[in-house]
Amino acid sequence: MIKDFEYFGPKTLNEALVLLDKYRDDYKIIAGGQSLIILLRQGLLQPENVIDIYGIKELDYIKSDGKKGLKIGALTTHREIEYSDLMKGSFKVLSEMEHLLSTPQTRNRGTIGGNISHGDPAGDPAPVLMALGANVKLASVAGERILDMEKFSVDYFETAMEHGEMLVEIELPAPPPHTGAAYTKFNIIASDMATVSVASCVTLAADDTCTDVRIALGAAAPRPMRAKAAEAILKGKKITDALLKKAGQAASEEAEPVSDISASEEYRRELVKVLTARVTKEAMSRAKAG
Amino acid sequence: MLKELKLTINGQPYELSIHPRTLLVEVLREQLGLTGTKRGCNEGACGACTVVMNGKSVKSCSVLALSANGAEITTVEGLAKGAELHPLQKAFLDYGAYQCGFCTAGMLMSCKGLLNMFPNPTSDQIRDGIDGNICRCTGYNSIIRAVEAVSRGDYKETK
Amino acid sequence: MSEKYSVIGKNVHRVDGTEKVTGTAKYTFDIVLPNMLYGKILRSPYTSAKIVSIDTSKAEKMEGVYAVVTAKDTIHKKQGIWRRFPELCDEEILCSTKVRYIGDPVAAVAAIDEYTAEEALNLIEVEYEPLPAVYSQLEAIKEDAPQVHDGVELNINVTRHIEWGDVDEAFKECDVIREDHFVCSSQAHMCMETHCAAASYSYDGKLTVWASTQASYYTQVLLAGMLGMREGDIRVIKPPVGGGFGGKFELDSAQFCAALLSKKICRPVRIVLTREEEFTATKRRTPIVYTSRIGAKKDGTILAKEIRGITDGGAYTGMGATALYLTGFFSSFPYKYPNYRYDGYRAYTNTEPTSAMRGFGAPQAVFVGEQQIDLIAKDLGIDPIEIRRINGMVPNYEVPGQAFIQSCGLHQCLDKIDNYIKGRGKLPANRGIGVAAYGFMSGGIFNWFDTPYAFSSAIVKLSIDGKVDLFTGACDIGQGSDTTLSMITAEELGVKLSDIRIHAADTAICPADLGAWGSRETLMNGNACKMAAADAKRQIIEFAAAKMGVNIVHDLDIRDGWIYLADRPERKVSYYDIVREAIRGRDGETIIGRGHYTPHRKGMISPAYSFGVQAVEVDVDPETGKMKLINVVTAHESGTVINPIGITGQLEGAIMMAGGYALCEDQPMDQGKILNPSLADYKVIRSLDMPKTEIIEVDTYEPEGPFGAKEAGEGLTNPTAGAIANAVRNAVGVTITSLPITPEKIFMAMQEKKAKEKKAK
Ligand SMILES: Cc1cc2nc3c(=O)[nH]c(=O)nc-3n(C[C@H](O)[C@H](O)[C@H](O)COP(=O)(O)OP(=O)(O)OC[C@H]3O[C@@H](n4cnc5c(N)ncnc54)[C@H](O)[C@@H]3O)c2cc1C
Ligand code: FES
Ligand code: FES
Repeated sequence: MIKDFEYFGPKTLNEALVLLDKYRDDYKIIAGGQSLIILLRQGLLQPENVIDIYGIKELDYIKSDGKKGLKIGALTTHREIEYSDLMKGSFKVLSEMEHLLSTPQTRNRGTIGGNISHGDPAGDPAPVLMALGANVKLASVAGERILDMEKFSVDYFETAMEHGEMLVEIELPAPPPHTGAAYTKFNIIASDMATVSVASCVTLAADDTCTDVRIALGAAAPRPMRAKAAEAILKGKKITDALLKKAGQAASEEAEPVSDISASEEYRRELVKVLTARVTKEAMSRAKAG
Repeated sequence: MLKELKLTINGQPYELSIHPRTLLVEVLREQLGLTGTKRGCNEGACGACTVVMNGKSVKSCSVLALSANGAEITTVEGLAKGAELHPLQKAFLDYGAYQCGFCTAGMLMSCKGLLNMFPNPTSDQIRDGIDGNICRCTGYNSIIRAVEAVSRGDYKETK
Repeated sequence: MSEKYSVIGKNVHRVDGTEKVTGTAKYTFDIVLPNMLYGKILRSPYTSAKIVSIDTSKAEKMEGVYAVVTAKDTIHKKQGIWRRFPELCDEEILCSTKVRYIGDPVAAVAAIDEYTAEEALNLIEVEYEPLPAVYSQLEAIKEDAPQVHDGVELNINVTRHIEWGDVDEAFKECDVIREDHFVCSSQAHMCMETHCAAASYSYDGKLTVWASTQASYYTQVLLAGMLGMREGDIRVIKPPVGGGFGGKFELDSAQFCAALLSKKICRPVRIVLTREEEFTATKRRTPIVYTSRIGAKKDGTILAKEIRGITDGGAYTGMGATALYLTGFFSSFPYKYPNYRYDGYRAYTNTEPTSAMRGFGAPQAVFVGEQQIDLIAKDLGIDPIEIRRINGMVPNYEVPGQAFIQSCGLHQCLDKIDNYIKGRGKLPANRGIGVAAYGFMSGGIFNWFDTPYAFSSAIVKLSIDGKVDLFTGACDIGQGSDTTLSMITAEELGVKLSDIRIHAADTAICPADLGAWGSRETLMNGNACKMAAADAKRQIIEFAAAKMGVNIVHDLDIRDGWIYLADRPERKVSYYDIVREAIRGRDGETIIGRGHYTPHRKGMISPAYSFGVQAVEVDVDPETGKMKLINVVTAHESGTVINPIGITGQLEGAIMMAGGYALCEDQPMDQGKILNPSLADYKVIRSLDMPKTEIIEVDTYEPEGPFGAKEAGEGLTNPTAGAIANAVRNAVGVTITSLPITPEKIFMAMQEKKAKEKKAK
């Protein structure tokens, strides 16, 4: 049962930031509520004040600037991203990822900002954002700061956001030509959280040498993580199946998975191995095509 | 402390005073007696509480009622037009798309949300569209056949 | 009048259709009574503990709390559904001195709302003294295991032995013998409507209970016993029920606590279990470990089977004793084993009790039996369909000393599935089709409940305008019995389906019925309804014959609202007119037809059995072990099909449930604590995971059933897990002997196989 609280429904970012500052000691932000309400009901959180930011229209947008890339407001819903015309080229992976995230009702209501703020290492958006080299913009009454997505996720359900701060925007740099990105999620039931997920973004030179690659793993560590050892194996080389296999092996070794009711640590490592190779191959073929 | 809530349900405006912790499903079922909407899990996982809010399907157990301030909500009670059943309801009857019926309101509202987005959904879109709704009885395929029939235009909505 | 039937076999809207698609159906979950209170139950956090003291004073003083009950408020009885065996009535519901699993109830509160009731639970102080506990059946039966119930040796709650022929001699004659071990996991019923009840005790000492139950009669009788009331003072009403699947025919904590609280304060009390309580503190499918030995001749004739099953009973008996028996009986299905032996043991453990669930021990038996028959076929080099043909049951077969099978379409089903598989041709790599054959009962003959009533009864009452009120104790829990029984009644009486109004499962106005379990309603209650309709029809025809002045050599019948001469159908009068006149002519006496059914001389198990064969096609990802269900084709026979949409629905629903049992549904525990008591963690098949389904109906006629019908409900849950296991073997060559068949298990088995093959080279 949810413990009662004071409710605030700011309509502008400024109003919200002032409230965050004022109730600095005991508040919780609610956006779509898809994750937060469960925590409230389980009594895991019992905030005195709940600040509902869902009504802040100015944070609900997807903007594309051909050169600079994409900007997505924190309150953009999963569904809006899933069906946005702006998810083209290597950004198509965002819409594909959102399509795999949970079920229509959750996508209709849940926000991308809420998702990554929740800090679930099994969340779908974070690995994709990492692979695409995203930054996040945080705001507080004191001002704004920009953080690399990699630094944003810290630990299980923990982010680098300070109290009084909120996530306002996700920025995705425009990818260089011949870049392809792909995402895959392993689960038993289609709409489930990932047992393991892998996102990969590959850039190729004219001669198909891999000039850049970013691989990110979900549900394979206490936070979404880059598989840098795997990337190092591929970078600067012409990617072959043998190299992909090696990269998979490396990713599987650098991952820090746990055993739980969904899978053992050992099996998760196997999944990382196989999926890293598969999804990077797909990203590569997209890079060639694009 | 009670807070004011204004919202429109099935075309009828309501003004209520509620505890901030109140969930949309509680307003519907307990305060307004609209018990067609069910609760199967209370944790956003079963879809029995699905309603259409501002045109989109949402789980009413996972929305604070105050977040729905100003919203237009349709529940299963608002699907039929007077004595005339909605095409989805007619198709559910013809295709036997329910058994115990406990998931049915949520299923219908997910399908309504789907039709709002895609008036003629494909089979794959239908499968995806009801994936948030657990049905322990039917195995889903009869529901999919029913919505396919609606998608084909076998049932006309009366204006 | 060319077609044989005018109502049955037709695609009709269910009689409860419109109320369900419009949201107007009122479930127990929706009931709000004037002055009603809301109840919550305090449950044990320990797997095993002595209750030293319970102090409810603080909770009682809390504002908004109107009653608190504990074992002290009871008449200190233990209940159980096996009433003929007092030692198996082992559940107090509200524990007095000892708790036996996490979730065992110790107190209940009624308050002005659920929030208050829940807060009040926190104010109840229970002092426990933790005791050693035991969590698995194999541990429980060891010499020095902690005792779950005092005085139960080795924690063995029930044993069952079934034997015929001379098994030991027969094994000596076998050319091939194999022994295998299998482990079947648990499963939650996962009804969409959690257990709930609303009880209202009045100042004149009468109790009315609205319950989400699949047997209102059992609820009535068991409540009477536990409350020290007369059965007749208790009225149990079953509103529409949001699923049962075997989980709702015992007296449960919501029903008992709501009734006890209401009785204490004479106010209505409603209790709805949370999803977490539903997962941890109701009942669940029985986990079983098996050792099975089977022996055959070179030509594929199976001579003997010997199987041992040890079931994890959890903390109480419930219906677990029946599951223990049925898994033994159905381990012999659907084959003509000339020599057979089963030994079953049910062990108490400190876990959530295990009991009946759709298929009732048979899905487990089929998972074991159908894998083993494929394995021995492989040993013998015989085609899997062929070995089933060689040994499959046939019509008029007697299971020695156990059962007599009249209609049986197993061989036609095998032919259909054989054709289907051949039609599929060669499959791509990592694809496989597995088959499983099965049979199931149409209602149990057992009367451990010790009812003095017929197993099913029905009353038909005609109104002056010819409309028919049908009264029956049958419980529609979603499976559609209200529709099926209305169809049977309409057909027999010769009226339209819309002429029937059914009143079901209200113990005050309907005759007793044992409820919806063991796939019994269509056959047993159907026979009762048919008999009641025939009784009413006879009375109308008597009047019509006199009125029409027909030669007594003519037979009269009723169909589509006309009473006509059977061999001169053009001579007819309106049924509706005749009813009006008949009632007048009888001094206004209502026309009432009565019917009842209890199986006699039909063996020990069931009056009839249905059969089928299922083929499941799966695709396995060789790198991850992930398995996808592609297509499920079922050839099935259930006698005359009364309600075709109903059968398709039962079959597709069964595949969702049994496919889930095979694929993903499980209740893993750590030291007796269920680790996934939420729908986020308990995984069920959803629409995107649901395979294609095809049903091939095979015609049979069951002489014992109404219009030749038999069951088509639970039996359909039986084959899927076994067929999937066989399909996985055919796809990637590994045998998975434990449920669920997770990708991880498949992957690990494939790794092991590769390692072995490498070594062999
Ligand atoms: C049944 C179910 C299945 C799910 N399956 C998946 C899945 O497969 N994959 C997946 O990735 N997710 C899944 N989720 C999680 C869910 O999609 C997201 O976590 C959700 O969309 C979060 O968005 P929200 O707007 O609802 O956030 P809320 O629930 O409102 O908030 C989540 C957290 O973020 C904080 N927060 C929200 N917005 C901000 C902000 N702008 N700045 C700072 N803090 C903020 C809140 O305080 C809270 O702690 C599932 C959820 C459910 C209920
Ligand atoms: S009750 Fe809302 S999703 Fe289950
Ligand atoms: S009809 Fe029973 S849960 Fe869907």
